[in-house]
Amino acid sequence: MQYEPTLGREELIELATQKYFASVDRKDIEAALDCFHEEALFCVQTEFTRHAGKPAIRKMFEGFMGAYETIVHKDFTCTVDEKNGRITASFEAVLTAADGTVTRLFNTNFWRIRDGKFQEVYVYFSGANVLV
Amino acid sequence: MSEWSEAGPGQTPLPYPYYVDIVTKRYFDGVDNKAMDQVLDCFTEDAILTEVTSNTVHAGKGAIRAMFARLFADFSDIWHGNFVHTADPATNSVCSQFTVLITPHGGEELRYENCNRFYLKGDKFHRVYVYMSGDNLLKEGDA
Repeated sequence: MQYEPTLGREELIELATQKYFASVDRKDIEAALDCFHEEALFCVQTEFTRHAGKPAIRKMFEGFMGAYETIVHKDFTCTVDEKNGRITASFEAVLTAADGTVTRLFNTNFWRIRDGKFQEVYVYFSGANVLV
Repeated sequence: MSEWSEAGPGQTPLPYPYYVDIVTKRYFDGVDNKAMDQVLDCFTEDAILTEVTSNTVHAGKGAIRAMFARLFADFSDIWHGNFVHTADPATNSVCSQFTVLITPHGGEELRYENCNRFYLKGDKFHRVYVYMSGDNLLKEGDA
């Protein structure tokens, strides 16, 4: 069973890349969390890690945003299943720590959208999980 | 036609079911039944399959055949299921999440939660990216 689709193709891409990732890159945690439903599920599949509900997702973001001086997500390639309210994006994440150490990841996210917000997010990492 | 790029412009959309069917009814059905020709028929001659989590690249149908020959030899049972697809005719691409149950000869069953991104050129896979939730099982084979 999929969620009732309510967003069009461009709206799905904007939600994933602009409302969500642009907010993460600005470390605007409230704007990033506003993309999620209260009971959303955020899963890092490559680590079998699950963050259930907005408080757990907030805690995860606080750790992630605190661990890096700058966070950049870029070079998105989006695959959109508009009729089923799903979007997938591959992208590069460039994470720079305070000591100048740079971590580059080539990840893929799957989002399942319900009523215009993330109900489920699945992340697949090319390297070590940074969303702990 | 402009130069091909992943999910790039200038491609001809196929019917929505085509993307789900090539992934499940042709490709993974072939993998699960160790039907090499059925599997390879899904790829273009110069396709590239990359296992992203270990950055292992299999370039060309010969290398992809060798990789599958090793996989089929190393494991007695292979099952892919619980699929959820993001299928997109407009970009000639499909991304799939799924569970893998796979058993090495004489060993314990392993469970993976993987995803693949498939970018088609025409009606075949031209670039495939695999993410695995554990150790890479798609190792280089003897070409």
